[in-house]
Amino acid sequence: MDARSRRTVRNIGALAVMSLSVNTALAQTATARIVSAANAFLSTLDQKQRGRVLFAFDDEEQRRRWSNLPTAMVRRAGLGIGELSAAQRSAALALVSSALSARGFEKVQQIVEADEVLKTSEGNNPIFGKDLYYVSILGTPSETDPWMLQYGGHHLALNITIAGQQGILTPSLTGAQPALYTANGKTVRPLGRESDKAFALLNALDEAQRKQAILNYRVADLVLGPGQDGKTIQPEGLKASAMNEQQRAMLLDLISEWTGIVHESAAAARMAEVKAGLGETWFAWSGPTTVSAGKNGTSYYRIQGPNLVIEYAPQKLGGDPSMHVHTIYRDPTNDYGRKLTAR
Amino acid sequence: MKTSLAAAAAILLSVGTPAFAHRLDEYLQATTILVNKDGVQAQIRLTPGVAVFPLVFASIDTDADGVITEAEVHAYAERVLRDLSLTVDGDRLRLRLVSSKAARVEEMKEGRGDIQLDVDAEVPRGGQSRRLVFENHHQARIAAYLVNGLVPTDRDITIRAQDRNYEQSFYQLDYEETDRSEPVARAPWSSVGGWLGAGALVLFARLALLWRLPPRRANP
Repeated sequence: MDARSRRTVRNIGALAVMSLSVNTALAQTATARIVSAANAFLSTLDQKQRGRVLFAFDDEEQRRRWSNLPTAMVRRAGLGIGELSAAQRSAALALVSSALSARGFEKVQQIVEADEVLKTSEGNNPIFGKDLYYVSILGTPSETDPWMLQYGGHHLALNITIAGQQGILTPSLTGAQPALYTANGKTVRPLGRESDKAFALLNALDEAQRKQAILNYRVADLVLGPGQDGKTIQPEGLKASAMNEQQRAMLLDLISEWTGIVHESAAAARMAEVKAGLGETWFAWSGPTTVSAGKNGTSYYRIQGPNLVIEYAPQKLGGDPSMHVHTIYRDPTNDYGRKLTAR
Repeated sequence: MKTSLAAAAAILLSVGTPAFAHRLDEYLQATTILVNKDGVQAQIRLTPGVAVFPLVFASIDTDADGVITEAEVHAYAERVLRDLSLTVDGDRLRLRLVSSKAARVEEMKEGRGDIQLDVDAEVPRGGQSRRLVFENHHQARIAAYLVNGLVPTDRDITIRAQDRNYEQSFYQLDYEETDRSEPVARAPWSSVGGWLGAGALVLFARLALLWRLPPRRANP
């Protein structure tokens, strides 16, 4: 090896170390930020409230207490946003926000707002609305030891396991009804990108690929929704290894709608895992292959890889399936961060 | 039937129940199937929608007392099993009900409770390439079927293909069954030949030892 080559190798090595350090620093910053926000929130609560919001880290019942259904139908534990004072509510939302990316938090807010719109359109039905979202903490907020933050209600279940620098968002459920509404004169589609990017990918496939991707049967609902922890179904559809580079990039961009909900450094780590298994990742579609511009599709799709399950399932309930969507995001190898927290 | 279901749905909507939040006019029947070398295990989740609940409830609550007992759930589960069919390589298998449990009536009435059946069946030994066919015709007029094969936990089973009809009332699973378990390395002495060989070795060693030992001297 000549001097020039040695210098190049040294430079690459230095860059790699720097990049690792920067990533580590960012991750530590994120975890520290979340812990700080969690402690700030807890400090606003009285003893009784703290007793209601805190659970043991290994409380399996609480871990699994999430659903797409309204809280009046499936009771959540923890503290409801509507029960909190303005300062407590602000601290609770700051905590949720600290664990998410800006885009992820915006999506969450839009899902909650949709429920408020539903409440109004249903004659102020008390089972809906933004007050009925619950926050809970499993374990003790820590920068080193694992703990968990849950936030959810109707059409929302965020299960965020924080283990040192890692932030795991699986399993999580996002949904929306109405999945298209107007707020402050603007059209809002909380899960609009999930529909648009999926159609863009489908349209980028050639005839043979589409034939492979499109299932010949109806899928009426999520297969691996709430209550289906620990199951891994046989993948179907088109394998990403049979896609070209551009199509794979589009698939990753679609996946980022779920992986990117969590804060940036955790999202980057998660995306690296997804990329590593991309060749073994499948894209399957069921339903119409066209959509009106600016509307949500009415088709079901599933993305499944070695460490990934995403399902997007429009619901027939209440009429127009484009207005009512459920999605699930899982990592069959690491739901609830089990890989990191196994003792 | 369709008219009465639509009417029921309309009434539920008009009285302000949370009709948008839950399953309405379908009876979701989601099945997962796990194949292993000796048998098949299936889990069936039955979730009646709000509008079809009265129909489903009437077929469970056979004494019409408004309460579902364990015996009624068990009897209903057995009736569901009669509407299912499972074959492997064309041979119909007997489905055995392992367990059945139902959510509370109030939960089911709101479209959020299900009945869960766990069933299994023994699969007779066969060739390497096998074909499983599962059919579900329970309450077909109101059913929304889902059926999926689970990734096998038995490393000797490899799923090759899945096929369904549009409604998913028919499901076909092609899989391969291989015997990857290496034959256990047998100790040389575990067979007759081995015993004879070992005996010969001992004899040979003893002879060699005798040949090399100096002749014994007589005691003084």
